[in-house]
Amino acid sequence: MGNNPEINKKIQVEVENLSKTFPGGIRAVDEVSFRVYEGEIFGFLGPNGAGKSTIMMILTTLLKPSSGKAFINGINVSANPQQVRMNIGYVSQELSVDDMLTGRENLWLQGGFYGIPAEERKARIAEVLHLVGLEERKNSKVETYSGGMKKRLDIAAGLLHRPRILFLDEPTLGLDIQTRSEIWRYISGLRQKEGMTIFLTTHYMEEADRICDRIGIIDHGRLLTVESPSNLKKEMGGDLIRFTLNSEMGDAQTERALERLRSIPAIRKIVEVDGGKGEYSALTASGEETLPLFFAALQETGSSVGRVTLKTPSLDDVFLSYTGRDLREEKVHKDQGLQERFTRRRLQS
Amino acid sequence: MLSIYLNSTYYVCWRELKRFFRQKTRIIMALFQPLLWLVLMGNMMAGLTDNPYAARLLGVDNYLLFMTPGVMVMSALFGGVFNGVSLIWDRRLGFLQKMLTSPLPRFSIPLGKLAAIVLQITLQMIIILLVARFLGVHMATGLPGALVMLVFCALFATVMGGISLALATAIKTPETLFTVVNFLTMPLIFSSNAIFPREAMPSWLQIVADYNPVSYTVLPMRSLATSGWIWPDLLLGLGVLLLANAAVFLLLFNRFEKTQLI
Repeated sequence: MGNNPEINKKIQVEVENLSKTFPGGIRAVDEVSFRVYEGEIFGFLGPNGAGKSTIMMILTTLLKPSSGKAFINGINVSANPQQVRMNIGYVSQELSVDDMLTGRENLWLQGGFYGIPAEERKARIAEVLHLVGLEERKNSKVETYSGGMKKRLDIAAGLLHRPRILFLDEPTLGLDIQTRSEIWRYISGLRQKEGMTIFLTTHYMEEADRICDRIGIIDHGRLLTVESPSNLKKEMGGDLIRFTLNSEMGDAQTERALERLRSIPAIRKIVEVDGGKGEYSALTASGEETLPLFFAALQETGSSVGRVTLKTPSLDDVFLSYTGRDLREEKVHKDQGLQERFTRRRLQS
Repeated sequence: MLSIYLNSTYYVCWRELKRFFRQKTRIIMALFQPLLWLVLMGNMMAGLTDNPYAARLLGVDNYLLFMTPGVMVMSALFGGVFNGVSLIWDRRLGFLQKMLTSPLPRFSIPLGKLAAIVLQITLQMIIILLVARFLGVHMATGLPGALVMLVFCALFATVMGGISLALATAIKTPETLFTVVNFLTMPLIFSSNAIFPREAMPSWLQIVADYNPVSYTVLPMRSLATSGWIWPDLLLGLGVLLLANAAVFLLLFNRFEKTQLI
């Protein structure tokens, strides 16, 4: 998917040294630069609070950047927001359809906001309803829709004025797995049928892997890398040895053991998974060949191992190697909280 | 440019009205509350006019006639003053974000919401007037006077609704807005001549009532109800309301066009 020949190199989104500092000094976006090309599905991947949505809100003219520049289709977002608005569709994280109106009324309203003439509007409404498969329920109030249907209606509303680029902020947040893959199908279909550029944010690894042409990994407001999913995985190369050390070992001995493991030439990198839990991940060219060396090294330092698994890297591991943190579905938030609590406790004692 | 504004305002208003007419409880309460005031308060206070001194203060021998403009203004006030809540919910549900990322001129958001409020309130006022008529209230200026009263109510509702919307651009939770609005409305009503005649107030309260915008809406309306076409009262009321509207719309334009809103 990474070298999709359909992607020509016309720039749709250009961001240069973009920063956003919120009142109170929180730096949500820190010197971010990247480009999105026409016809591409580009995804921002990162945990909650990484700054993904903030960047998207700047690009959709909802927030002003503190510094740096952003262009949509060559138009400066801060200088000409009104022109940018004609070019973009935005589907926010929240379900922003009106519950008390019917599906059709929601779309009618959206068309009104964009000043689409009545006749044309009717035709386009029929078209997008067909696209998201909601024709049969178009005259029911939205409050009777399921979560997935609401999201599809929301996406339909974002498509009505035929934007050149569609922004989807966490399009599958809070949806069950079945609905999620249904939404993915619609998004991929959109690109195929309409040739639209799609910019989405997600904290689901699988989502990024399955539908994005390129992924930007973002954490603490900084863009760490932009690559295709396959290149990212290739970059990892080889295998991963995931292991825990015997919990009875003290900090000093653990450190010594890790030091010794790092000195094995075949092991490229060792990172701690979810700091505080004592689980580690070692990257190596060939797991089968490295594993005997791995055990020998541990024995040498008098350490013992708790649990070992050998696996080929997933995007999850890619994320881990970039951020030092695991990105497992919605657990991230909780883990972060726990981690902070552990640190605080350690500081207190 | 004007056609874009009209079109956008129309759609914002269209949505508000659709929502209003689909909330049955809201409609019933909007109509029932002023009727309760009229019937209950009117009946309770009806004996008041038996007292000649009180009758002289009120300037009428029918308390309901005195009360009807007051009830209308209060209903317009309550109808308008919670308008900001809809903006807060739009923000919370992400609908505001949707409007803000569309080419919709931002100022048309308050314009549409206020247009919807004016239509709702006018409907409510017509019903109040009909019921008052049924209860034996005869306006001194008849039907033309009643129509002018509707205009005063509309002008008053846009001031109150506008202030509420302006507050909602800065306040992010409905609870806070409710608190602020309640803090403002109660003194506004009770320090005005809506329920009691100015002449019956202690002198310090008279001074407060003289500067209370509610009084300036009640004054011309009460003239129309009890006395006739008293032009100084009408022009004074109209002037104050137009000035207040100008100030509120200026404030709204500034808030919606110049601030972030989310």
